[in-house]
Amino acid sequence: MKRPSDGELLAAWRDEPAPLLPLLHAFHQCDGHLSEKTLRAISADLGIPIADLFGTVTFYHHFARTPGGREKPRVCVGPICALRGAQEIVDRLDGATTMPCPGRCDQPVPVLDGDTILCGDTPATLTNVDSPLPPESPDEIEECVFAQIRTPGRAGLAGYRETGGYEGLARALTGSPQDLLESIDASGLAGRGGAGFPTGRKWRAVAEAEGEPKTIVCNADEGEPGCFKDRTLMDYDPHAVIEGMLAAGFATGATRGFIYLRYEYPETQNILERAIEEARAEGLLGSEAFGPGRPFDLWVRRGAGAYICGEETSLLNSLEGKHPFPRNRPPFPVTHGYENLPTVVNNVETLASIPHILSKGPDWYRNLAIGDHAGTKVISLSGDIRRPGNYEVPLGFPLQVLLQDWAGGALGDRDIQAVTMAGLSGGFLAKDDLDVTLDEPSIRAKESFLGAGGIMVFDDSRDMVEVAHAAMEFFAEESCGKCFPCRIGTHRLTERLSGGGPSDLGDWVDEVTDLGQTMKQTSACGLGQAAPLITESLLRYFPDQVAARVENR
Amino acid sequence: MSNPLDDMEKPDVIFCIGTNMTECHPVAATRIKRAIAKGAKLIVADPRQVALAELADIHLPLRVGSDVSLLLAMAHVIARDGLVDEAFLEERTTEGTKFLDHVAEYPPEWAESITGVDAKLIEQAAQWYGAAERGAIYYTLGITEHICGVDNVQSLCNLALVTGNIGREGTGINPMRGQNNIQGAGDCGALPNNYPGFQSVLDPANQAKFAEAYGKEVDLELGPTKVQALDMCGDLIRAMIINGENTVVTDPDREHCEHALKSLDHFVVIDIFLTETAKLADVVLPATAWAETDGVCANTERRVQRLRKAVTPPGEAKPDWWIVSRIAQRMGLEGFTFNSAKEVFNELCGLSPIYAGLDWDRIERGEYLWPVPHKEHKGTPILHRGEFENGRGIFQLIEYRDPAETISPEFPVWLTTGRRLAAYHTRTQTGRSAGIDYLLSEETLEVNPSDVATWGLEDGGWCTLTSPRGSVRVKVESNKRSPPGTVFVSFSFDDVPVNVLTGGGYDPVTHTAELKVCPVRVEPSL
Amino acid sequence: MDRNQYDYEITLDGERVPVTRGETIYEVSERHRKSIPTLCYDPRLEPLGACRLCIVEIEGARNPVASCTTVAQPGMKVTTKSARLEMHRRVLMEMVGSENRDLDVDPLSGYASDEMATLLDRYDARTKRFAGSRSGTSRPDDDNPFILRDYENCISCYRCVRVCAEQEGDYAISMMNRGFETQITTEFEGLLKDSACTFCGQCIQTCPTGALADVKALANKDVPGETEKTRTVCPYCGVGCSVDVMTRDDKVVGILPAMDGPANKGALCVKGQFAFDFVSHPERLAAPLVRGDDGELHETDWDTALDRAATGFAQAAENHGRQSVYGIASGRAPHEAAYMMQRFIRGGFGTNQIDNCSRA
Repeated sequence: MKRPSDGELLAAWRDEPAPLLPLLHAFHQCDGHLSEKTLRAISADLGIPIADLFGTVTFYHHFARTPGGREKPRVCVGPICALRGAQEIVDRLDGATTMPCPGRCDQPVPVLDGDTILCGDTPATLTNVDSPLPPESPDEIEECVFAQIRTPGRAGLAGYRETGGYEGLARALTGSPQDLLESIDASGLAGRGGAGFPTGRKWRAVAEAEGEPKTIVCNADEGEPGCFKDRTLMDYDPHAVIEGMLAAGFATGATRGFIYLRYEYPETQNILERAIEEARAEGLLGSEAFGPGRPFDLWVRRGAGAYICGEETSLLNSLEGKHPFPRNRPPFPVTHGYENLPTVVNNVETLASIPHILSKGPDWYRNLAIGDHAGTKVISLSGDIRRPGNYEVPLGFPLQVLLQDWAGGALGDRDIQAVTMAGLSGGFLAKDDLDVTLDEPSIRAKESFLGAGGIMVFDDSRDMVEVAHAAMEFFAEESCGKCFPCRIGTHRLTERLSGGGPSDLGDWVDEVTDLGQTMKQTSACGLGQAAPLITESLLRYFPDQVAARVENR
Repeated sequence: MSNPLDDMEKPDVIFCIGTNMTECHPVAATRIKRAIAKGAKLIVADPRQVALAELADIHLPLRVGSDVSLLLAMAHVIARDGLVDEAFLEERTTEGTKFLDHVAEYPPEWAESITGVDAKLIEQAAQWYGAAERGAIYYTLGITEHICGVDNVQSLCNLALVTGNIGREGTGINPMRGQNNIQGAGDCGALPNNYPGFQSVLDPANQAKFAEAYGKEVDLELGPTKVQALDMCGDLIRAMIINGENTVVTDPDREHCEHALKSLDHFVVIDIFLTETAKLADVVLPATAWAETDGVCANTERRVQRLRKAVTPPGEAKPDWWIVSRIAQRMGLEGFTFNSAKEVFNELCGLSPIYAGLDWDRIERGEYLWPVPHKEHKGTPILHRGEFENGRGIFQLIEYRDPAETISPEFPVWLTTGRRLAAYHTRTQTGRSAGIDYLLSEETLEVNPSDVATWGLEDGGWCTLTSPRGSVRVKVESNKRSPPGTVFVSFSFDDVPVNVLTGGGYDPVTHTAELKVCPVRVEPSL
Repeated sequence: MDRNQYDYEITLDGERVPVTRGETIYEVSERHRKSIPTLCYDPRLEPLGACRLCIVEIEGARNPVASCTTVAQPGMKVTTKSARLEMHRRVLMEMVGSENRDLDVDPLSGYASDEMATLLDRYDARTKRFAGSRSGTSRPDDDNPFILRDYENCISCYRCVRVCAEQEGDYAISMMNRGFETQITTEFEGLLKDSACTFCGQCIQTCPTGALADVKALANKDVPGETEKTRTVCPYCGVGCSVDVMTRDDKVVGILPAMDGPANKGALCVKGQFAFDFVSHPERLAAPLVRGDDGELHETDWDTALDRAATGFAQAAENHGRQSVYGIASGRAPHEAAYMMQRFIRGGFGTNQIDNCSRA
C-alpha cells in the first residue's frame, strides 16, 4: 500500500481530539521511525515548538528515531521475565532491545514485534497467544468483574448484551444523574488503580465542577510491573469498560472520553476500537448517547512507553501532547483535568465494575467483601507460583489462602520467600507479614500497600538483593526526571544495590536509609514516594542478604 | 507611547503595524508573547513575514506604503458593522460624523486593490479590533518613514478614537522608539519647533520664559528640520555641530548628504568613534560613552531613568554636555558654567512643565513616567485619561496617496529597509562588540525564492540594486520572509550603503524620509 | 501592614499572618523573610516544584509539601523550619551535590550562579555522600561566543527551559530523555545558533549552578579585583532596560539584567546582554582631533580643539548670520547632551536651528 503523504496524515488527525499521539504513531507506523522531517512537519502543523516536541518524543521508550527502529523486537526484562531467561532471548534474537514489563507476567517471556506480542521462553518458542482468561474461582466465591468474562463472545456487542450488558446503563439513563451518583456512593466502590479514592465522590466533584466540556478518561496505562488485570478485562470485556465510561459521562455531564492505553497492548487496542465502533453503530456512543442532543463519544489514545503516564496528571499531559511530567496538585483533575477542564480519571477495573453495580445494585457490590470492606479486587499473581493469573478476591481475603490454596503455592518443593505488593510499588512482604489480608488497612500496617493488586512471588532460591536491584533499576529508568529526590534518589539506590556506595556496611545502610526517607517524604508523585519501599523492606526482611552482598564486594 | 510597557500584557486584541518588534524591541516583544499566552489575539500588518507575523492570528501582508488604505478600510468596517464607540465619540471627540461619512467611501474591496490583502482578512482584523474590550496599537518606523508618515499615524489615531481604545489600561497608540534616548532628545527641546517639554517656539509666552532663563531672545519662528538643514548646507547654513549621529550612513541619499556636509565652512562632530560622518569634520571631539557617563534618559513609555558612570572614559573623552557648554564658554556666552550632569538636568526640570515634579534625586529608582507636573505627582503611565491635552480628540480626514516613487518597468521591485536583531544601526557599537559577528557578519538582500529564480539570481550569489540615485552590490538570501516583488535589506553594514538608494521623498510635515519604500531594479552581479 | 488589603490569615511558624487569595505558601513566607531554600524557583516563572527544597509542614498533612506550588488556604498552619525539614533539605542538597563536576563556579558565570554553592554551605552538605555517576553531558562543540553549555554542572531544575518559554517566548530550550538521563537540549540536540535561540542570555542568568554561563564575562575572570556593579540603562533601543554593569579594575567585564528594572523586570536581548565591550574598543576616540592644513585630522588638546570649534561658529554667525549655525542632537546620548545642544543654539544664537536624529 502506498504511504499516505505527510499532508494526508496531518489532515487525518489535526482536527481530531488529542491529536499528537495518534499522529506520531501514524508516522511511526508508516516510516518505522520518527524522522526530523516528520517532527518538523508535525511541529508546524500543530503549533508545538519543535524543541518541545523533540524533547517529548525522546521521553517515550518506544518511539524510534532511526530508520527501522520500530520493527526491532523488544524483550521484557521485568522482574519475572528476568528469572525466565529474558536476557538470553535479548542476546539471541536479532536486533532485539529491552523493554520494561509489558504486562504478560502470567505468560513469560513476552516480546513486542511490531504490533504483535509473542510469548515464549526461548527465541524458537515465541508465538502469538491470546492473553489467558482468569482461572475459575475455586471456592465458588462470587465475583464481580470476572462474573461473565469467561462467557464466550462476551467481547462482542451481541455477546455482551446476551449476558446483560448495557441493561444497567439503560436503566440508569431513565433516572437522574443524581440517582446514579448516590448508587455509586452506596456501593462503596473505590479506585482500583491503586489510589483507592471513592469513585462516587470523584464523579460528584466533576459533576459539580464548573467548566465544559467535561471528560472521562479511562486509565489503561497499566505500566506497573506484575500487573496485567486491565489487559484481561479489556481483551475479554471491552464493553464493560465502555458502559462504565458512559455511566460516568451521564453522572457527571461529560461529553467525551478517552481510553489511554499503554503502547505494549497493541492487540487490546484493536479489540477496544472494534467495540467502540460497534457501540457507535448502535447509537450507544455518539450524538445521542444519552438521548436527543445529549452526546457522548469516546476515543482510544495509545501511549508510547512511559510508566509515569499511569500517574493521572502525567497521563493528562501526555494526552494533551505536552511533556508528560506529573502536574502539581492541587488543583486536581476533577476541576483542572484534560485541557484544564473537569475530568474523571478512572482505572479500567473501576469502570468495569460499574455495569455490575448498575445491574445488581450497590448493596450487592458492597457485600461482596469480607467484613467492613466493600467489593472485590483483582489480583495479578505471577512469579514462582504454580498457577499464575488474575484472581478476583473479596477485599479482606487472606493472602496465604490465595497463594497456597487458590494458586497452588510455590513451584516444586520450594517455599515462598517474599512477595511484592502493588506490583513493585509496595515493596516486599515476607515472613510473618505474609499473614495479611488483601485490603489496604491490613497491608498498610506492614508499611506496604495493595495498590493495583500486582503480586509477584519469589521462592527461597532467589537473591533478594538482586530482585531489589532490578526493581530499583526499573524505577530509575521510569523516573520522569522532574523532581530531584526521585530523579537522583532512584539512580543512587540502583547504584547501591548493584555494588556501589560506601564499603562500610553501616555507612551503606545510612545512605540507603537517608535517601529512602527523603524520597518517601519529599518526592512529588507516587513513583518517588514508593520506590524506596523496595530498599526499606529489603533491609527489614533480608538484612543478612544485604550484609553479605555489601561486605563481599 | 500613550500607555506603559506593563500594559502590553493586558489587551485582548493587539494590532501591530510596521513594527518588527522581535528584532528591534525584543524585550517589548516578550510582553506581546505573554499577552498571546494569556489569550490575546494578535493582528500584524507588515509586508514581510516577520517573526511577529508568525505569532499572529491574522497577518495582513500589505504592499509597502499602502497603510492608509488599509486603515481607512478598517475604519469603514468598524463603522459599517456598528463597532463604533458612540459614547466615546460623543463625549471625547469632534468631527466624528464627518469621519464616518468619509470612511464610508472606502470598503475593504477598495483597500484590497491597493494593499493586495484579501478584503476578508481586512474585515476580520477590523472586526476584532473594533470589538475588543481593550485594543492596543503598536507601531514603529514602518509607519513613520513614509511620505505619508503623519497620515499613517493620524489614521491609527482615528482607529483608536472611533473605537474608544485610548486613555484606558491596555489600550492606546503606542509608537516604539528606536533609540535609547530619542524620546529624551525631544523632551529636552532638541527640536526646531519646541522648547524643552514640547513648549512651542511660536508662543510669545514661551519666548519670554526662555529669554529670561537663557538671557537671549529666541526667534518666534520654526527652525528648519535636519533634512531641510542638510539641503541648506553651504548656502544658508555654514556651520554645523552633530552629536553622536552617523548621518552619512543613516540618512537617505548618501551622496547628497556627504556633499552637504563637505560644503560646510565649519563642521564639528562629537562622537565616541571616528565614524564615516566624523571623518568629514573639521573638529572631532571625543565623548564619554555609555557606562562612562552620568545622566538621564527617557524610554519609549516616557519613563525617566538615570544613567550611571561605571568606568573611567578613555584618554581625554568628556561628557557631551561638558563639551558643548565649553564651546559656548569659549565663545564668551553667559550661563554655561555647568559642572555636573545633575546641574544640567535640574535646570531642564525647572523649565519643562512635564518634568516640573522631577529632579535628579527623585528619579533615582526610575519610577516616574512623564508628565510629572509637580512634586506630589506620581507620574502619568496612561495619557489621555478622561481628557485629551487639547480638550477633544479630533478626527482627521485622510486620503490615500501613493509613495513618492512607485514601481515602473525601469525599477520594478519594491525595496524596503529595516533592522536586524543582532545589529544596531550602523554597527558602531554592536560591530565593535566581540561575538556579534558570529550571529550576523554580513548584510544580505532578502529575496523571495520565486523571485530568485525569475530574476536569474542565486541564493548566496551577488546582485546589484539600482534606484534613481545609485547602485549597491549585495549578497542574495533566498527567503520567504519577503513576498514576491518585494526585497528587504538592513542599513547596518557600511559595505552595503543602502542609503545610496533611498531618499525618493519626505513627509511634508515632519520631513521624515521615505526609507521604507524605494523602487529598485535587481540584477545578477559577479 | 494594612490588613484590609488581605483576604484571610494563615498561621506561619506560630504567627498569624495575612494572605492574599491565590498566594503560595512560598510567597507568603518570602514576605515574612523566612528564607526558605530553593533551587528551581525564579519569581518570574510559574513554580515547578522540582527541587523540593522549599518543603514545609502543614498541620494535618502526612508528608511535607512544596511551598512554591501550594496555595495558602485559610486557616492553614504552616511550619517552615523543623528538624525533619532541615534533615530532608540537607539530604536533598547532598544529593544535588553528588551529581555535578563542580560545586563552585566563578560568579561572573551569571546572576544566580552561586545559588547551589550557597545552599551547600548553608546545609553543611559538602559531605561527598551519595557519590556515584554524574548527570549531564557538556557541549564543548557549541562554539557560540555567548552561552557556555557546561551541562556536567547541570542539576535539571528546568529554569532555563522555563525562562526561554515563559519569559522570552522563544521555546529554544527543552529537555530530552527522562530520569537521571535527562539532558537539557535544543531541537535535535543541535547548536544554539541553529535553534530558535535569540541569545538573550536569560538562561544564563537564571541558572543556579553556572552550567549555563556567560562566556564573555568569564573571559574576564582573570582581571584582578572585586566585581563591582553599577545600575544603569541599556544603550540600545527605546525600551530602556535596566542593567547592572559589572566592572573589575575599571573595566566593564559583563552585564547583569536588573531583576527589579522597571521597564524590563530582568529581561534583556542579545545586544543589551552581550554587546557592551564597544566601550573599551581600541578605536575609541581618546583625544580631540582637528583638521590640519594638510587636510588630515590630527590629535590635539582640549584648549586647541575647543577654541577651533568656538571660533568656527562665531565666524559663521558673524559672516553669514545667526541662522547659519545648526545643531543636531543625539538620540543616543543622555538628556544633558540634547538639552545642552538646544541651549547652545537657542541661548547662543537666538534661533531654532536645532533638531535631533529622529527623522532618519
